[in-house]
Amino acid sequence: MKARFWGVRGSVPAPGPDTNRYGGNTSCVSVRTANGELIIIDMGTGLMHLGHSLLPTEFGKGQGKATILLSHAHWDHIQGLGFFAPVFIPGNQFVLFGHAKSSSMLEGILEGQMNPNFSPLYTLKNLGAAVEVRAVVPGEPVTAGSVQIIGRPNPHGSTTALAFRIEEAGRSFVYASDVGYGDGGPTPEVLALYQGADVLLHDCTYTPEHQATRRNRGFSSYEDAALAAIAAGVKHLVMFHYDQDYTDSDVDSLAAACRAYLDARGGSAIRLTAAAEGEELEI
Amino acid sequence: MKVRFWGVRGSIPVPGRLTNRYGGNTSCVEVRPRGAAPIIIDAGTGIRRLGKSLMETAFGDGGGSAHILISHTHWDHIQGLPFFAPFYTKGNQIQVYARQREDTHLQAVFASQTEDPYFPVPLSSLRAEIQFHELVEGAQFQIGNATVTCTRLNHPWIAMAYRIDADNASVVYCSDTAPFTDVLLEHEFIKSPPKVGAELPQAIADKLAEMRAALVAMCRGADLLIYDTQFTPDEYKRQPHWGHSTPDDAIAVAREAGIKCLCLYHHAPMRSDDAQDAILEATRATVLHAGDAFSVVAAFEGLELTIGEDE
Ligand SMILES: [Zn+2]
Ligand SMILES: [Zn+2]
Ligand SMILES: [Zn+2]
Repeated sequence: MKARFWGVRGSVPAPGPDTNRYGGNTSCVSVRTANGELIIIDMGTGLMHLGHSLLPTEFGKGQGKATILLSHAHWDHIQGLGFFAPVFIPGNQFVLFGHAKSSSMLEGILEGQMNPNFSPLYTLKNLGAAVEVRAVVPGEPVTAGSVQIIGRPNPHGSTTALAFRIEEAGRSFVYASDVGYGDGGPTPEVLALYQGADVLLHDCTYTPEHQATRRNRGFSSYEDAALAAIAAGVKHLVMFHYDQDYTDSDVDSLAAACRAYLDARGGSAIRLTAAAEGEELEI
Repeated sequence: MKVRFWGVRGSIPVPGRLTNRYGGNTSCVEVRPRGAAPIIIDAGTGIRRLGKSLMETAFGDGGGSAHILISHTHWDHIQGLPFFAPFYTKGNQIQVYARQREDTHLQAVFASQTEDPYFPVPLSSLRAEIQFHELVEGAQFQIGNATVTCTRLNHPWIAMAYRIDADNASVVYCSDTAPFTDVLLEHEFIKSPPKVGAELPQAIADKLAEMRAALVAMCRGADLLIYDTQFTPDEYKRQPHWGHSTPDDAIAVAREAGIKCLCLYHHAPMRSDDAQDAILEATRATVLHAGDAFSVVAAFEGLELTIGEDE
């Protein structure tokens, strides 16, 4: 399978010349399975650009199908939905998995940001495509064509965010954005979810210094990401969800510091990449 | 007074190389009467950097005062609010103005935007002193020495245009609005595009004409008119019910109101810098050809205009 990054930024889009290389769009990753299935993870502003790229395909004709995985409903993970062109084309079908007590509650959460005070769309029902919303049961696998997906909640400030593991033919990709671990690091269940992954994409919002001073905890530093990668024995760590204030050169420094930290902690065999908008990763 | 643009984009922020010059942040304009506290119009993502710059002043230690006029609560006009640093410092006084709702309190609308699970910091936990002021169209009020007037626009769920008079100068902010010809946009959801140029029922045509006349009257003689020009004529024909105008619509209002400078604003998200340059050139050519007396600029992030008296 192939993963592609459409938005790698956290909290709020960060336009400007100093974010051109890594990109300023908020969280969105697409995974194309070997079987040709499309899985979309999170719906930040990057989703708009993914949508435009899909228009020349079956999605342009209303014959597209995709699975959408939603880690949580913070703005930077849902703000692209109303600008995702395929969702306005009747015939396209989406199944959206996210975390809530029930599927109807999850639908209500999405509706809450689409009401006419905030959006000219008024309601999910005005999207032309079929969007089926389903609550994920933690740890219970969901199948989407040839792949299996498991979601597990991570602590994220006062709420939780789902981490997802996608497996196909012995290959595994884990998406773990927006996580602030407790003192003990990842829980055993979450560590099992990460275990041995070919690629672990992990929240890397801050330097440890910034993490210590920012009000809204619930995000990882590159040290948290590196430690999780080492503990789970993953092959490749991908840094993601950079703070909105970080320029391209700040992210370069973040990556260099993360590399050094991995090396110092016995993780020198782990490959490291800082996710950049538009880049693709073969898994 | 000074007028500074912090976000000029409509609908959704668009980072990337194609928007480096005009900027990818959503709507936010700062109006600064001489020696007075800032009057901020709209709180798109552009307000984040404005907030940072204000923290270098009295806002940094809780002694700041600001007024925020919200045209309407669509995402692209409020999504920067939680990233406005002065909110997080105790002592700052922030007044938020927006149109009164038929069904709920303004404060509840803002509170619901940032409640769990959408945002980690609820409105109630912000440390600055925040007051909400509900406006009805036609209202006039003072902010220090500045006089603020407002009138409604033709946009889904209704937006307000504002005029600010101070220092013997005046600026009008008119975003978001459709022209007043093809569809009346208020509370009802309009599913498919109405036909452009088709005749409207008399009552609706009258209502739109009245709305436009009130806008033109409010713009009369303004030094600067900032206008929603998101659409090209073709885009408008396809989506007349989305609530945005073309440069030609803005020119017509500018001409009738006898304003001095027209500022193109609320640029379409997918409009590249080069495409926006071309729209500006074409608009200038139209105005020149018609012999109009006003000048035309296109808003970009960081643009600062001085109008009337200033230090
Ligand atoms: Zn996030
Ligand atoms: Zn707008
Ligand atoms: Zn709007």
